[in-house]
Amino acid sequence: MASLVVEILTPEGPLWRGEASALMARSTVGKFTVLAQHTATVGDLVASVVRVEAPEGPVTFAVHSGFFEVAPGPEVGETRATILASVAELTSDIDVARAQAAKERYEAEMAESRDDDGARYALAAQGVARAELRLAAATRRGALA
Amino acid sequence: MAGGQERVLRRRIKSVNSTRKITKAMELIAASQIPRSTARIVANRPYRRGVERIVVAAALGDPVAAAKLIATPERVDVALVLVITGDRGLSGPYNNGALRAGERLVNELTSRGTRARLYCAGRKSAAFYRFRGVAVEEVFSGFTDRPTFEDARTIAYRLAAPYLSGEAQQILLVSTRYHSAGAQGVEVQQLLPLVVPDVAVDATAGLHGYVEFEPDVDELLASLAPRALESEIFSALLEGAAAFHTSQQRAMAAATDNADDLSQNLTRVMNRARQDSITNEIMEIVGGAEALRSGK
Repeated sequence: MASLVVEILTPEGPLWRGEASALMARSTVGKFTVLAQHTATVGDLVASVVRVEAPEGPVTFAVHSGFFEVAPGPEVGETRATILASVAELTSDIDVARAQAAKERYEAEMAESRDDDGARYALAAQGVARAELRLAAATRRGALA
Repeated sequence: MAGGQERVLRRRIKSVNSTRKITKAMELIAASQIPRSTARIVANRPYRRGVERIVVAAALGDPVAAAKLIATPERVDVALVLVITGDRGLSGPYNNGALRAGERLVNELTSRGTRARLYCAGRKSAAFYRFRGVAVEEVFSGFTDRPTFEDARTIAYRLAAPYLSGEAQQILLVSTRYHSAGAQGVEVQQLLPLVVPDVAVDATAGLHGYVEFEPDVDELLASLAPRALESEIFSALLEGAAAFHTSQQRAMAAATDNADDLSQNLTRVMNRARQDSITNEIMEIVGGAEALRSGK
């Protein structure tokens, strides 16, 4: 039987792992869907909402850029899709109020460091992007990636 | 006088005992941090392996494109050296080990005509170089006990900038790796250009044969390099934290034992001194009584 095992890994630990019928995400090339028996692929992910069609219903994640790897699993007929994200969270874990506060804080930081050497500004801009993705994921809960 | 000596000894025993209390507390605190920090290394492992696998896949998939980012440059004019130590001392050989290895590395680079630019993670390395009057580009501190990925990202970001602009051709890392509870060691590792791990083909992941890349290997490696840098720095910070706690626990356990010995020895010396003074006093009394009697 062809099956698909999805694994979402972050530096702080595995976030989610389980069987799924499909994985939907977005790379720099465009949106894509991984099904069982997908060819071996390695690619990047842009910051977006990743959707996993699990047996118990769709699960969505806010993935703040990363990589993905699709490879045949150790079992016959198994396909393994691994998402490597430096930061990722389950949509259901997102705290909207906190994300909103973080967005405002980083925006203030951006405005403040506009004339600096650029590093602080860039980090603040990344922070804003992360907060915006969280908000987008949480408010469009369940929406397709 | 004998009584005075006894008082001095009593004071020393008291001070040794209170030091022992502190070292014992530090030992227990460090011991309580070890399981947490090793658990984080274990949790981080799948991610780190995954990033390694992608580097390997990209290197095998398009060796020509990969050569630009993976091969070690023939000539390195400027190398960035990141030294990871702790923020605190009293941790046995932990800080010194990394600092010594860092110094050796810098000397070696200098003898080869490479200018080393230092970056320090942890207050101890910053203090070490400040004391020696060695210029440090940047110091990152305040997190070495419990590093977050955000810390690693900040460091990676600062290190990547001169590398990507071409100012530096190599990024090296000096850190203490945590192999197991009993084995830790300082290692020097090249972060950028990327190093393809020896385990070229992982047996469980079937990434051999034809692999598609999305986007091309060229582009993929360009975005992979900074992420791999973050990942390696984070794992080094995690292992450094675990090694720090282990080393501190061991050092403080030894200090506690030493304090025990010292306090025991001092107590013996003090008891003897007290006994001596009592014997002396008896002798004086007896001697005085004798004198009085004979003088009668």
